[in-house]
Amino acid sequence: MSAAASMAAWRGAWGEAFAGAGRAWLFVFKAVLAVCLTGWLAMRFDLVSPYEAMITCAIVINPASGMVVAKSFYRALGTLVGCGAAVLLVLAFPQQRALLLTGMALWLGVCAGGASLHRNFKSYGFVLAGYTAAIVILPVLDDPSGLFDSAVMRVSEVMLGILVAGVVSDAIAPQRLSRALRANIRAGFTGFVGFVCDSLAGVLQRGELEQAHLRFVRESVEIENLRSSVIFEDAGVRVRSPRTRRLNQRFMAASTSYQSLHHLMNRLQGDEHTAAREALMTIFVELAGAIRRVDATASVARQAAELVQSLDATTDSLQMAIGQARASLRGPIVQLDFDTGAELTRRFAAELRAYAQAYVDLAGPTSRHIAMSRHERAFAHGNDWLGAATIALRVVVVMLVTGWFWIATAWPGGSYAMLMAAIFCGLMASSPNPLGAVRLMWRGWVLGALGAFVCLFAVMPRMDGFVLFVAGLLPFLIAGFYPYTRPALAPIARSYVLSFLIMTELDAVTVYDVPAFFDRAAGLLLGVALTGVAFRLFANAADNRFLYRRLLDKLRAEVTRACRAPLAGARERLESASRDLFMQIIGYTGAGSHVAHDFMAWGLSVGEAGRAVVDLRADMAGVAPPLRHQLQLLVEALAGLYDAPGRLRYLRTRRRLASALRVADRLHETRVLRHLHLLRLALLDRQSVLAQYMLNVSDEVRHAA
Amino acid sequence: MPRELSVGGMFMPSLLLVFVVALGLLALLDWVAGRYGWYRHVWHPALFRLAVFVGVFAALGLAAMRGD
Repeated sequence: MSAAASMAAWRGAWGEAFAGAGRAWLFVFKAVLAVCLTGWLAMRFDLVSPYEAMITCAIVINPASGMVVAKSFYRALGTLVGCGAAVLLVLAFPQQRALLLTGMALWLGVCAGGASLHRNFKSYGFVLAGYTAAIVILPVLDDPSGLFDSAVMRVSEVMLGILVAGVVSDAIAPQRLSRALRANIRAGFTGFVGFVCDSLAGVLQRGELEQAHLRFVRESVEIENLRSSVIFEDAGVRVRSPRTRRLNQRFMAASTSYQSLHHLMNRLQGDEHTAAREALMTIFVELAGAIRRVDATASVARQAAELVQSLDATTDSLQMAIGQARASLRGPIVQLDFDTGAELTRRFAAELRAYAQAYVDLAGPTSRHIAMSRHERAFAHGNDWLGAATIALRVVVVMLVTGWFWIATAWPGGSYAMLMAAIFCGLMASSPNPLGAVRLMWRGWVLGALGAFVCLFAVMPRMDGFVLFVAGLLPFLIAGFYPYTRPALAPIARSYVLSFLIMTELDAVTVYDVPAFFDRAAGLLLGVALTGVAFRLFANAADNRFLYRRLLDKLRAEVTRACRAPLAGARERLESASRDLFMQIIGYTGAGSHVAHDFMAWGLSVGEAGRAVVDLRADMAGVAPPLRHQLQLLVEALAGLYDAPGRLRYLRTRRRLASALRVADRLHETRVLRHLHLLRLALLDRQSVLAQYMLNVSDEVRHAA
Repeated sequence: MPRELSVGGMFMPSLLLVFVVALGLLALLDWVAGRYGWYRHVWHPALFRLAVFVGVFAALGLAAMRGD
């Protein structure tokens, strides 16, 4: 073998070995650089505790760059707010340790609760508003006269950490989230269109529909979450942000309609519905043909544009196919079945076209102005205030217990316990599996303490000057930052790095005080332990039946809201908030569990019924007064049913629906009739989650008659 | 411009004010650049942004401190 060939073989082997690890090592390099740079600058600037700046840097740094910038922005805001709160608290209770600590505990509780109410990086701002207040107040608890210096120093340190972390991760080989966002949007579009194309002419069972629902919900929530972080990193994405939300809204609308269509087809089983089913199939084939005409090898933007044209060109032939298919049907019931399905198909085709158009607009130049309504640019989140209150209470209790212990024992490690508990209660407030994370934190703490001990007492005394100081730190930091890139190990790594940095208390002049070191270590241990106990006592919705039921009620309340809230924006609110709530529960429980299955069934029912009600209300305005009155009664009954489902309410809704149907039939209000028929089929579906409120079969037959 | 400004009796370095102004300018520039897609012509947008910020901050800071 020639030398060149063996070199090439070597390079291939190396490339393979480091392909996955390359990104991780790049992150380790950046993280270590940022932490050391922060330490150096902090020492150059003569800041009192450089390690606070380094801790900040370690909390802020993240494998994806956009996240760092987003975090930094909210973190800077949170720092200033937290500092202001700390100053106000100390000014309010200058000589009252107990009151000051209580006030601080309450403030931390408010911050942790606020953190759980927000997704991604806004929640960081809250966590850090609490953390900054704690690190400003704790050193001046006995000496309020040092307040101003403490506040200025802590803010300077935290800001320095934020700044360095932001600059390092943004300027050196950034890992862009905007790329992930674009890929997600593209995959969402091609995935949905492909799914429709494959399944339109076939049959989807309930289980498959649930899986599809989960997938589409996850995609739209992920796009929204990514969008809200990427706007901090990419000016182009920021400008297109309204269009991205509009695309997402239309995606949600189209996917809900598509599911309704499949539910309808599943409900049209049995001999009496066969004719309508087969007639509907012919128009599905027509629509699927239009979608299939798109060239799948072209770029996605091109595909979207072609889909718009193709759907535009099909409008007439679709209408004609509907007319032909209807002409062959006999009997009012069969025709109503068919009309309902045809109306739904038309609506779905229009929404698919709107979705493709939104994609074309998103990919197009930003200079062209696009008119859009305020509601289309929104994404509503669903939140549970009581869940946030539980989290707040958890933090307050931990802080009060730690603070009381600290005051009662006058133990110098107490302030470290408070600091650690404050950081972790906040950071893990909305973690899906906090108990598991606490278990990992323990190990991180043990490793961090061991590392800090070795580093502080075996390595540092031999290191003279900044270069050697960094060289001594390197192995410990690299070992901590490498697991950051593995999601399963991230809690350990986080806890390790934090305990390591807190316990070594690095400074230009390092203090070698063994008893003080053990005080710090025991303090951190107490902080971690109390956090663990608190997470067990005040569990989140995953382990708490009560909170879970509340989230489920919240999900159902979206239908009630769709019935009662002003019509403008009701559909957008329903689509986004129900998806957001849905993903919260799935995040807590995992997709496979039994609870999640129950929840999924409700999610499908809420999406379908909510949508049907909104459409019904939109067509309600123009109908004759007696019918409108009936419809109002029906909408009110539906609101009641989803507010607190039960047999009686279910029966009342069915009765109202039946009388509304009679009146609409008498008045020949065809559009309303179709909406009502769709709702009736949904209410009668034996596979849906509402089936549990039905009477037994013989009663059903009597009622249906 | 004096080196330190008195804000409610506390002394703040006046460069802090310049820093905030420079951040504001950068945000404005960033918005305009995003609106018209200027970043497409830049190899490394983040580095470019940082460089512009350093330039703006240095220019403003030097201009403000020239009197001393």
